[in-house]
Amino acid sequence: MLGKLTLNAIPFDQPIPLIAGGLVFLVLIAVIAWVVIRGHLPYLWHEWITSVDHKRIGVMYTLLGLVMLLRGFIDAIMIRSQQALAFHAPGYLPPEHYDQVFSAHGTIMIFFAAMPLMIGLMNFAVPLQLGVRDVAFPTFNSTSFWLTATGALLVNLSLVIGEFSRAMWLPYPPLSEYRYSPDVGVDYYLWALQIAGVGTLLTGINFVTTILKIRAPGMSYLRMPVFCWTALAANLLIIAAFPVLTATLAMLLLDRYLGFHFFTNSGGGNMMMFVNLIWAWGHPEVYILVLPAFGIFSEVIATFSGKPLFGYRSMVAATMGICLISFLVWLHHFFTMGAGGDVNAVFGIATAIIAVPTGVKIFNWMFTMYGGRIRFTTPMLWALGFTVTFVIGGMTGVLVSVPPADFMVHNSLFLVAHFHNVIIGGVLFGAFAGVTYWFPKAFGFRLHEGWGKAAFWLSLAGFYITFVPLYAVGLLGMTRRLQTYDVAEWRPWVLAAGVGILVLCGALACQIMQFIVSIRQRELLRDLTGDPWNGRSLEWSTASPPPAFNFAVLPNVEGEEPYWEIKRRAIETQQLTAEPDYKPIEMPRNSPTGFITAFFCTITGFALIWHIWWMVGLGLFGAYVVFVWFAWRDREEHVIPAEDVAEADRARRRVRAQWLAQNEREEWLAAHAEVSEPA
Amino acid sequence: MTDERNADDEGNVGDVGPGFMEAADHSVRQGIQGYLMGFALAALLTVASFYVLHTTLIWGPGIVVMLGVLAVAQIGVHLVFFMHLTTAPDNTNNVLALAFGILIVVLIIGGSIWIMNRLDERLMPIEQTTGQTMQMP
Repeated sequence: MLGKLTLNAIPFDQPIPLIAGGLVFLVLIAVIAWVVIRGHLPYLWHEWITSVDHKRIGVMYTLLGLVMLLRGFIDAIMIRSQQALAFHAPGYLPPEHYDQVFSAHGTIMIFFAAMPLMIGLMNFAVPLQLGVRDVAFPTFNSTSFWLTATGALLVNLSLVIGEFSRAMWLPYPPLSEYRYSPDVGVDYYLWALQIAGVGTLLTGINFVTTILKIRAPGMSYLRMPVFCWTALAANLLIIAAFPVLTATLAMLLLDRYLGFHFFTNSGGGNMMMFVNLIWAWGHPEVYILVLPAFGIFSEVIATFSGKPLFGYRSMVAATMGICLISFLVWLHHFFTMGAGGDVNAVFGIATAIIAVPTGVKIFNWMFTMYGGRIRFTTPMLWALGFTVTFVIGGMTGVLVSVPPADFMVHNSLFLVAHFHNVIIGGVLFGAFAGVTYWFPKAFGFRLHEGWGKAAFWLSLAGFYITFVPLYAVGLLGMTRRLQTYDVAEWRPWVLAAGVGILVLCGALACQIMQFIVSIRQRELLRDLTGDPWNGRSLEWSTASPPPAFNFAVLPNVEGEEPYWEIKRRAIETQQLTAEPDYKPIEMPRNSPTGFITAFFCTITGFALIWHIWWMVGLGLFGAYVVFVWFAWRDREEHVIPAEDVAEADRARRRVRAQWLAQNEREEWLAAHAEVSEPA
Repeated sequence: MTDERNADDEGNVGDVGPGFMEAADHSVRQGIQGYLMGFALAALLTVASFYVLHTTLIWGPGIVVMLGVLAVAQIGVHLVFFMHLTTAPDNTNNVLALAFGILIVVLIIGGSIWIMNRLDERLMPIEQTTGQTMQMP
């Protein structure tokens, strides 16, 4: 009746996951109880859970990413503290639990922290920057989000029911085959990723369609903000790469569930094929994460330097170049497999070449800052921290792109330090820059600068104190994923990395304080203008938070920096543009389709993991019924009357008129005279 | 949504999404004509590929090549008549998407075959490494 699921699945003998899971469960119950008792449930259901508004979905994605980042960070603390204690000693984590911790850390950080953060920021900002009202397929978008949340839920469920994978963040066979991992851990991993992967693929289709087909009048490709370009490249990569992941994991599932022999040594399979295929997805995935971050830095650096982005076209070319070359380098993840010198040489050279467009971007950002009036706000600090940190990570990357050098450090902590260097310094700093940069747009008030800056400096210091020792100890020969060790020379470095993670804990505390303090002082930090940073692209031309329809009238784009042009013209002529003729706006209706589909997918996933076949049928049937029900709905849109549109826009225009009155023409022109020219 | 969402590069209104082309430019009769022509061509190519298997018209070892040619022609017929891939300017995105897709497939499949073959050449036969014969399916 319940397949493999028995009461033994709950780890009563392991206090750490049980207490952690219990605590999370209690917090969850408390939050739900608070929501129900305070009567917030209808609001939550109508305004958020069933919302198809790209801004709301973006906020939910970002929130999911931040919560899962916390979970992944707790795993990181456990790994570092275990290694700090485990010198000539067993430490406090037994091997089978430690293996779960590092597997969960990698899986969560990539799939459920970094991906939702990047997709969330794209969701929020791309339609606003393109000057349109929503993405191409709004209900699809909601479904994407809830399927991703399903994956995250399944991974967290493994904490209390059963166990998580012990086969690393990429489950290499033969360890991940049924023979060596007969428990449900790998199945949790596989089904969580398959379901979340569908959501990610839908996102990719949605955003490519949006960017290619739906843009404000006059916004040609070469007038799109760079963030839109990087989002386009990242989503093209999603469409091209995620099916490879799905197919590879599906083959492993067939091996595990139906006794196939894709990756077994017996029966003519080849386990190296898994490594090859998973990295054919895995390397583009790196760029799926970091390209949007590059886009965020481009926006942030241009805005806070008060200058147009230097070398816009070269930035676009570099982005699309990276998009293509990222499919030519995947073998560098397994140089040591033994495919031979010629294969290694080709992929090594391709890897070194991909550093060139990235270098172009770094120089473009430097020249954007050169001669600008730089405002050192929190997002700008993240961007500056990124340029330095990412260059160091890039250089160690080019170092290991040389196959003989890679043989020396393969699977050592040097490699671990390298990819944390680029992912933390690139993706995570980018996510934090994006969150602080667009937060006032999303909620109408700024984040507290003091706590934000404290979080930045502690993150930067904590990052270096943690990972520079790992570079060193990697060169001393310490391999990854060691549960215990007995080499005395490694000890001080491992302890230093432990100190680093403590500093990062301080950074985390500052991040949380930043949100708490900002929400409590929101009246002080309120931004009424909709343009708190003196921005240059279209998202700043609407109110904060933007109305559901984003723009009362779709903007007419005449240059690369449309909003900057509008502001300049307004100040030169000392008047706003004439009031437009407001028309009623059709917007997509909210729909619970995504949420209910994801609910049934959660049931299906859980049942598949535990071999409860009748429940699999139930879940699939439910999901199909939701699809049919959605396909047969006859009202898809609701109309926002012209009066409401006019009212919202007139309020915005009043604020902008005040702003105009405060900005003396000569003063503003003088302040921006030299920086509006390319330096 | 409203048609202003479908503005193209030049800001022209009325560039509808792929799949809606016929509704905009052609009558129903022309549309059906196109599908029938596509069906006839596809059927012809299918019949031809069965025919070449049993014919002496083609030199034996050349049959495989001929089948490949017919398969590619079949893909072309499907793309043009059923997927409505044309060279019209409003179809640029679709053509580029197809090109990108083909490039990625060639890179991943070609790369994988190359990598795994080179690996295979450099590995000892399994019999030698394990001292036992493996069953091949």
